[in-house]
Amino acid sequence: MTPEAAAAFTEAAVEAVREASRQGRLATREDVLAAMEADGVFLSPVGLEAEAQPPPPEDRDALLAAIFATAPDINTFQSLSGQTVYHAPDLLSQTYAHILDRKGSPLLLMAEEIRANSRDYPRPVPVELFEAPPFDLTPEDIEQALRVMAAGPDYQDIAFTTSSTGAVYLFSTRHMEQGYAAFLAQRAESFVMNP
Amino acid sequence: MTITAGGFAGKVLRVDLSTGKISTQDTRERYGAVLGGTGLGYQVLWEEVPQGTGPFDSANKLIFATGALAGTSVPCSGRTAITTIFPSCWPKALVGSGHMGGQFAAKLKYAGYDAIIVEGKAERPVWLFIRDGRVELRDAAFLWGNGIHRTTLQISQEMGADCAVAAIGQAGEKLAPLATVVNSLSHSAGGVGGVMGSKNLKAIAVQGSGGVRIAGNKEQWERLVKFHLSILGANNQHVVPSFPTPESEYYNPGSRWVGEPGKRWGAAKPPVEITGSIRDMSRISYRTNSAAFFLGEQAWKHTVRGNGCTSCPIRCHTTLKVPAMATKYGLDEVAQGTCIALNFGRFFFPTLPGGPKGEAALEACMIGMNMADDMGIWSNYGQLQRDFIKLSHDGVFQAKLGSAEYAAIPWDKWRAGDPAFLLDIIPRIGERRGELGLVLSEGSGGPFDHWGVTEEAWGADHATTYWKMGHPKHHANEDDGQCGVIINTQYNRDAQCHSHTNFVRNGLPVREQKRLAGELWGSPDSVDAPGHYTRMNKYKAQRAKWALVRKELHDCLGLCNWMGPWVASPIKERGYRGDNSLESRFFSLATGMNLDREELDAAGERVFTLHRALTIRDMATADMRAAHDRVPDWVYEDPKDAQPFTPGTIRMDRDDMSVAMDQFYEAMGWDKATGAPTREAYARLGLAHVGAALQAKKLMPGDKS
Repeated sequence: MTPEAAAAFTEAAVEAVREASRQGRLATREDVLAAMEADGVFLSPVGLEAEAQPPPPEDRDALLAAIFATAPDINTFQSLSGQTVYHAPDLLSQTYAHILDRKGSPLLLMAEEIRANSRDYPRPVPVELFEAPPFDLTPEDIEQALRVMAAGPDYQDIAFTTSSTGAVYLFSTRHMEQGYAAFLAQRAESFVMNP
Repeated sequence: MTITAGGFAGKVLRVDLSTGKISTQDTRERYGAVLGGTGLGYQVLWEEVPQGTGPFDSANKLIFATGALAGTSVPCSGRTAITTIFPSCWPKALVGSGHMGGQFAAKLKYAGYDAIIVEGKAERPVWLFIRDGRVELRDAAFLWGNGIHRTTLQISQEMGADCAVAAIGQAGEKLAPLATVVNSLSHSAGGVGGVMGSKNLKAIAVQGSGGVRIAGNKEQWERLVKFHLSILGANNQHVVPSFPTPESEYYNPGSRWVGEPGKRWGAAKPPVEITGSIRDMSRISYRTNSAAFFLGEQAWKHTVRGNGCTSCPIRCHTTLKVPAMATKYGLDEVAQGTCIALNFGRFFFPTLPGGPKGEAALEACMIGMNMADDMGIWSNYGQLQRDFIKLSHDGVFQAKLGSAEYAAIPWDKWRAGDPAFLLDIIPRIGERRGELGLVLSEGSGGPFDHWGVTEEAWGADHATTYWKMGHPKHHANEDDGQCGVIINTQYNRDAQCHSHTNFVRNGLPVREQKRLAGELWGSPDSVDAPGHYTRMNKYKAQRAKWALVRKELHDCLGLCNWMGPWVASPIKERGYRGDNSLESRFFSLATGMNLDREELDAAGERVFTLHRALTIRDMATADMRAAHDRVPDWVYEDPKDAQPFTPGTIRMDRDDMSVAMDQFYEAMGWDKATGAPTREAYARLGLAHVGAALQAKKLMPGDKS
């Protein structure tokens, strides 16, 4: 394949991912290939030598893997369903991408978000966070997830603290002690009284 | 000769109310070294107001001063500082300043003035008319007794809608120490209204047809303004949204960046739906909704718009429309405000039906904004309301008020969390009616002086958040450990410093904050996670100094320290860096006086040191460490007896704070034993004459006073 052809494939593949990111979606390999197919890049690849043929369908996964292994500004990760997915982090952040990926699993969605918040910021998160976009869980979903977590061995680090205003905050004991979580929850509640 | 290369309007207006004499001075020639704003105010007080002058003496002066960047297109440049001998400072009034945004600063510059020095006392109520070069004192008999809203309306009808009116209400007329000056309806400067009242000055109204000249290259200027816009976050320079968004790696539920696509200003006609990218520079104004931050989701449907100051895209004064205000309470259904003023009414209640974000809370906020901004009452950063609650709970009102007065107060409504209670209590305070109104309107010093409660008791009770000298903490150890404590020791009122808290509350993860802190202040250890404090180090002292100097600098330049400094940004590609040199770059381009960051910071330090010198002079002691830089006992306690430096407490350690003050004084070049600037420190900052004057009064370190 000529450098021009490789560039054309790369440009089309990256644009497919960027377009999905613009729309707030993760792109799968199938999405990218479908977009490239729709764009016709496999029909008249720029720069292919006259006798050359476009890559056959069975080689296209490898082609994408090669493209995204070196494409700048495109992130790749394995989704919960086992698929490889892509996003452009300047349009769809890594944090948001993982939230989208976990939306089908409220349990994991909540647990991983709670853990990331406790580890990185650090802070406990108000339980109401999960009712709002982009989580969009119902109170029933949340209650059910918390019930399962309380009993599940993989989630024993997920704990809660209640502020003096009655607000419930969730945190991970892997990354935060109970006393500190209680302090930070109280502090977060006090912001509206401490301008 | 008038030197007006740019930035400065060029003249300072001087109005002698006793004689009616109106004159001008050259700004740069006379006050250039102190930049403007509070610096100009401090210089006037230093040079012209004798030691021992009381706040309401005619010898006191009131200096309305803006700065070189006000009235330009610099974002967040709408501030005016009002400096005077500050009435609510207890037990003795000392230098202090109130600060207001709105449109007044720009109008003043457009009229050709950087500042107004008000001196003397008028024989009868007057208001000051300024239309460019035409300046007149006019009879205010018809305005006296009116609230600020009516006063603003009547003057605007006389002058035209394009004037800015800064007025006092009934509280200022009655010389309440807790009185405001308000311009543009909701932009208030706390504590200075009574001084204006004592001079029989009801209002200053200004109209200007000029502009502000930019000395430097105009293309560079435009580029810098656009760059500044690009690194803005939301209110308080919170640089991450409060919710996860595709365009941000980080979020923080405590962020004031609450606007996002899909939210609606529901009371606008027609309603405005937020669309597009929240990162777009033309949509910065949609990020902040102060009412939604403080009152929750319900506020969106009542939101009319974001209001704010000249040249500021943040629009933190959210305008709300709540029809129930008219039908239930007989008040205007529209009000606007931010932060403490927005919460003025709500803060009177320990609890409200529906909680702090319920309907009663909304109505209490609306009543408070309407009445406090009309009567011109200052809350002393919420201390008025905390004092009210503590005095009620401790039975002081019942013990000290006459039985008739006590019985006339509808305590049942207060206990029930009925916002209608405010219709009774706010006018008592604003009109200084009865024992309660008279005492509470003095600030915390009122109960100390009149009712036998002690400052020690207030300082021991964490719930009061009382700090010292009649005022509360303002972003202290609850936000920023030793830095917060140091900052809160330095002023004669609540510290009003946001340089530090805008950084620690910016919403970035602590590892990002520490990375930036390492670049800015020499070590990641200059910043701790909140409530997870480590022992003092010299980098924290440097950061405390930086925070104070920048606060003072902003107050001199007309910039908003509620937004700046802009050392962090929402931009991942910049590593979330802001720009630590923004102020000096703008100042140099605007004025043509090329000062780099260190040089401009030195000018800010000069002004801050002049404030220190004035405090030393008027307290008649150089021992600031013992007499002034005090810390209340609650800072050294924990409700659960957690030890300092354990995660989850804001309890500080006395020995460590002693080290912290040592290191801060050292960073300032001050004497460690007394916390007073040394002769060398004064000389280094171009204040040798100030040092010499204090030396003559035996008010230098080492002198016995």
